[in-house]
Amino acid sequence: MKVEISRRRFLQGSVALSVVGGTALGTTNILADTKESEDVKIRPTKKVPSLCEMCVNKCALIAQVRNGVVKKLDPNPLFPKSKNMLCARGDAGIHALYDPDRLKYPLIRSGKRGDGKYRRATWDEAYSFIKEKMVKILDEEKDNRSCIGYCAGEGMAEPTYKEFMAEKFGSSNFINHASICLQTAISGYALTIGGYGSADLDNAKYIIMAGANRAEAILTPDTMNLFKRTRGRGAKLVVVDPRFTNTAIHADTYVPIKVGTDLAFVLALTYVAIKNRLYNREFVEKNFDNFNIYKMHILESNYTPQWAEKITGVSAETIEKIAYDFMANAPESVYYQGRRSTWTSSDFQLRRAQAIFSALGGGIDIKGGIVFGKSLPLDKEEINSPIYANAQERIEKKAAAIIGSTGSWIAWRNMVAEGNTPYPIRGFFVYKQNPMLSVPNTKKTKQMLEKLDLVVVIDTMPSDTAMMADVILPECTYLEKEDPIRSFGGVEPAIVLRQKVIEPMYETKPVFDIMKGLAEVLTKPLWENTKKYDEDVQSDLKDEKDEQKYYKENGFDLTDMFGTSQEEMNKKMFVGKYGEKAWSDLRAKGVFYPNMDKYFKKIDNNTFEYYPENKKTYQIDKLLEKADKDAYLHDTCINPKEISELRKFFKTPSKKIECYLGNLKKKGIDAMPTWRAESYVEIPKGKFKFITGRHAQFTQDATQNNIMLLELMKENYAWINDKEAQKRGIEFGDEI
Amino acid sequence: MNYAMALDYQNCINCKACEVACKEENGVQLGADKQRIWVGVTEGSVFGNPFVNLYPSQCNHCIDAPCVSVCPTHASHYIDGGIVMVNPTKCILCKGCMEACPYDARFVDDTIVAVDKCTLCHHRIDEYGTTACQATCPTKVRLFGDLDDENSDLVKLLKKRKFFFLKEGEKTLPKLFYLVPEDENFLLRSVGKETKIHTWDEIKPIYDEAKAKRSKEWKKS
Repeated sequence: MKVEISRRRFLQGSVALSVVGGTALGTTNILADTKESEDVKIRPTKKVPSLCEMCVNKCALIAQVRNGVVKKLDPNPLFPKSKNMLCARGDAGIHALYDPDRLKYPLIRSGKRGDGKYRRATWDEAYSFIKEKMVKILDEEKDNRSCIGYCAGEGMAEPTYKEFMAEKFGSSNFINHASICLQTAISGYALTIGGYGSADLDNAKYIIMAGANRAEAILTPDTMNLFKRTRGRGAKLVVVDPRFTNTAIHADTYVPIKVGTDLAFVLALTYVAIKNRLYNREFVEKNFDNFNIYKMHILESNYTPQWAEKITGVSAETIEKIAYDFMANAPESVYYQGRRSTWTSSDFQLRRAQAIFSALGGGIDIKGGIVFGKSLPLDKEEINSPIYANAQERIEKKAAAIIGSTGSWIAWRNMVAEGNTPYPIRGFFVYKQNPMLSVPNTKKTKQMLEKLDLVVVIDTMPSDTAMMADVILPECTYLEKEDPIRSFGGVEPAIVLRQKVIEPMYETKPVFDIMKGLAEVLTKPLWENTKKYDEDVQSDLKDEKDEQKYYKENGFDLTDMFGTSQEEMNKKMFVGKYGEKAWSDLRAKGVFYPNMDKYFKKIDNNTFEYYPENKKTYQIDKLLEKADKDAYLHDTCINPKEISELRKFFKTPSKKIECYLGNLKKKGIDAMPTWRAESYVEIPKGKFKFITGRHAQFTQDATQNNIMLLELMKENYAWINDKEAQKRGIEFGDEI
Repeated sequence: MNYAMALDYQNCINCKACEVACKEENGVQLGADKQRIWVGVTEGSVFGNPFVNLYPSQCNHCIDAPCVSVCPTHASHYIDGGIVMVNPTKCILCKGCMEACPYDARFVDDTIVAVDKCTLCHHRIDEYGTTACQATCPTKVRLFGDLDDENSDLVKLLKKRKFFFLKEGEKTLPKLFYLVPEDENFLLRSVGKETKIHTWDEIKPIYDEAKAKRSKEWKKS
C-alpha cells in the first residue's frame, strides 16, 4: 500500500511547486516586512483572542495585528478543548483572510447560470434584486414561505442564518451537511445510549477506531489526547480501515477490512462477548433494556467470527482477540463513534451495534469510556417567531424513517430536481456550503439549481455553487467578525468567544449584517403579501385595529431579531449568568470558565492543566434523564435540539441502553442491528470500491484555494493497493 | 545559554502544522521545497505488516557546525544561545553550507537571494519562551529549552528520558534530541541498530566541553 511520499521523494518532483499558486507574492505573509534587518525586534501592536474556523473544531487563537494587518495566528492555551494548538489549516488562516480571489463585492449574474459571468453590484442593488424575486415568488405561491429552501455549511454563525430563515422568514426547508456526514452516528448513538457523547481518549485504555482517522481528520481534543498515549503509553489502539492512514501508523493492531462490512465485524465482536460471557454483567443487568432479546438475536443469527471472516476479510482469530482485549480493558474501552459516518445503507445499524458493544463493557458515562460531560449555561436570546398559516412542512418529510430538522440533502435535491415536490420549490439560499461538490451527483445538483427562479449564495470564496447563483453576497471571513458566543460542554467545559480581529475588508459583511439587511428590505413587502393570503392573519386583523402593533407583537417584523448588535447580544447572553467582571475577562482572554484563574496551570510549554482532576465531569448522575439538552453542546456539528427531537419522536421508553427499538420496526427498520446480505454489494473481481478520506491539510473544499496549504499538498492523490497498481502498470504519481 | 530541542517524535501525526506555523512566523518563501522545518518519512514492513516512521526535523544548530566553519564570508554565524544564523547581506550563495550540512536543513530563498534556515524563532524566545513550531503542534512533539539550565523543562526531561541523534556519526554535536520511545516494538522499527542511545549524564560533559571550545563565536544577537 502506498503511504504518502517521503520528503526526499517529494522534493525530487516538486521544483515546479515553488511558484505554487501563481501569484506575484514572494513571501508568505502577504504584507510582511519580516525580512527587516535582524536587529529590529518585531513587536505586534495588538493581540486579539478569537476562534479559528478553518474547520469545525473552533480552536482558540490569538491574532497578532500590526497596523491593521493580521501578521500571525498563535494558539491560545486557555481553551481546554483545543489545548494550545493550531493545525496547519489554523496557521494558514491568514491566507483565507488575504486570499486575492475572495468574494469582495455583491455580484449579480449577467450571463447564463453556470457560465460565471457576473457584474459588480452595490448591496442595495443586490438586496432589491432579491426582494423583487422573493415578493413575486411568494405572491405566486400564496405566502407559502417554504417554497424558498436554504442550506448551510457548519459554522459559528450558522444559527443566525438558520434561525432567521426558519423562525422569522418561516420556511421549513432547511438542509445542512448532517445527512451526508454524521447523521447516522448521531441518531444511532442518541437512540441507543441516549446521546452521542464523546470518547474519553485521555483515559481510555483500549480504543477501536474504525473508519475514523483522527491523525488526519483532526478533532479536538481527541487528536491531541490520543497520539500522546499510543505506542505503549497507556492506550492500545486498534485501527480498522481499508486505508493505511496516519492513524493506522499509530495502531497496535491495524485491521484492513473490506469496504462496507463494518457491521458484520461489530456483530461478530458482540457474538464473542456474549457467547463467552465477557461482558460486564452488573452493568448490563442495571442499564440494558431488552438485553435477552438482543442476546438471542446475536446467538441465533450465528454472527460468529468465522461467519464475519468470510464477509469482512478479517480473520476469526483477530476478531476474537479484539473482543477479548476490549472486554478485558473495559470499562475503559471505547468503540469510537466516528463522524463522517454515512457510508452505506446499514450505517445507522452499524452505529447502534457499536454503541451496544461499547455498553456491554460498561464504558458509558464513565471515565475512560464514552462520556457526556456538562456544559456551562448561557442565557437564551428569545426570537419572536411569527406563525404563517400557509407555510407548509418540509418536502422530504416522508423520504426516510428519520428526517430531522436538518433534512436529507439527497432526498431533498432529488425531489426538486425531478419536479417531484408536494408544492413548488422556487428559490434557494446557500450559506457557506458547496453542494455542487459536496453532495453526491453534481449533475443532479446542477439540475436542481437550474430549476429555481432565485439562487442566492452567501460565502467568502467563489465556488462551483456560487457559479450557479443569481446573486452572490460576500461574507467576511472569521477574522473580521464577532459571532454568537458559544459554550462547549464536555469533561472540561468552557465558554469561548469569536471576536473581530480586523474590520471587514472590501465590501464584505458578517452574515448577521447580511441577514439584517435582507430583513429590512423584505419585511414590509412580505407583510403585505401575508395580509393578502394568510387567512389567520386576516381574521386576527378584523379584531385588531392597530395593524402596526399586531405586526410587531406577533413577530412579523423580520428586523426585530437584529435589534441589537452581535456584541451586545453576546454580552446579554453571558452577563446574566457570570457577571460583568467575567465578561471583560472573556473579552480579554477569549475563554472563560468558573474558577479559571484558580484552576488553570501551566506545567510546561506543552502541558496545561485546565481543571483539577476532581473537578472534571466524567460522569453525570442519572445520565439518561438529564442528558437531553446541555451535555451535547461540545460540537458545532451536533445540534442538541435535534437529538432531543429524535428521542422524543422515538420515545426511548426505558431510559436505558436500548437494544430493541420497537418504534423503528413500525417504520420498516430493523429493531435490532442485523446484517442484511441482500443490501451489501460484493465488489466484483477486478473492480474497486471508491472511498474517500481526509488529509490534515484541507477541510473538504473550503480551503482549496489556500496558497499555504496548497504547497503542503498540491494534488489530492488517489490511493490504490500496491499489488493491484503493479498489475495495471500504474506508477506512483501517474495520472489515472 | 545553549538552546536545544527535544523531540518526542513518536507523537508526530505528520499534520504539518509546524511547517505552516514556521512559514507564517518567519515569512519563509513560499514553495514546497522552501522549508525550514519538515517531517521525514520512512516506510517499511515487518512480516507483511506495513509501518511508517515519522521524524520531524529542522536545523540541528550543531555545536560544531560545519556550515559555519565552511562559510567564506561569515554569513553563517552563531548568535547567543548557540543558534546558527545566516546574515543574508553577507551571503554570496556559494552554497558551501548547503553541501556541508548533514541534515539538508538549508535552502536558497530567492526573494532575498541568500541561504535561509531555521532560527529557532530567536526573535520570539523572550516573549513566548518557545518556537512557533512547538507552540502550534497538536500532539506536542517538541520541547524547546536551554541545556545550560539544569532546572529547565528541557533538561528535566532529558534527565528522565534516553535519547539519540540523527547522523551522530558526522560529529557535529547536533542539538535535536530525539527521545527514545518506551515501546520496544516502536523502538526497534524506528531506531537503527547502529544508532547510539544516550543519557543526559553521559552526554552533558561532552556537550559542555564542545561548547566551551566554540562558544567564543557566539555573538550577542
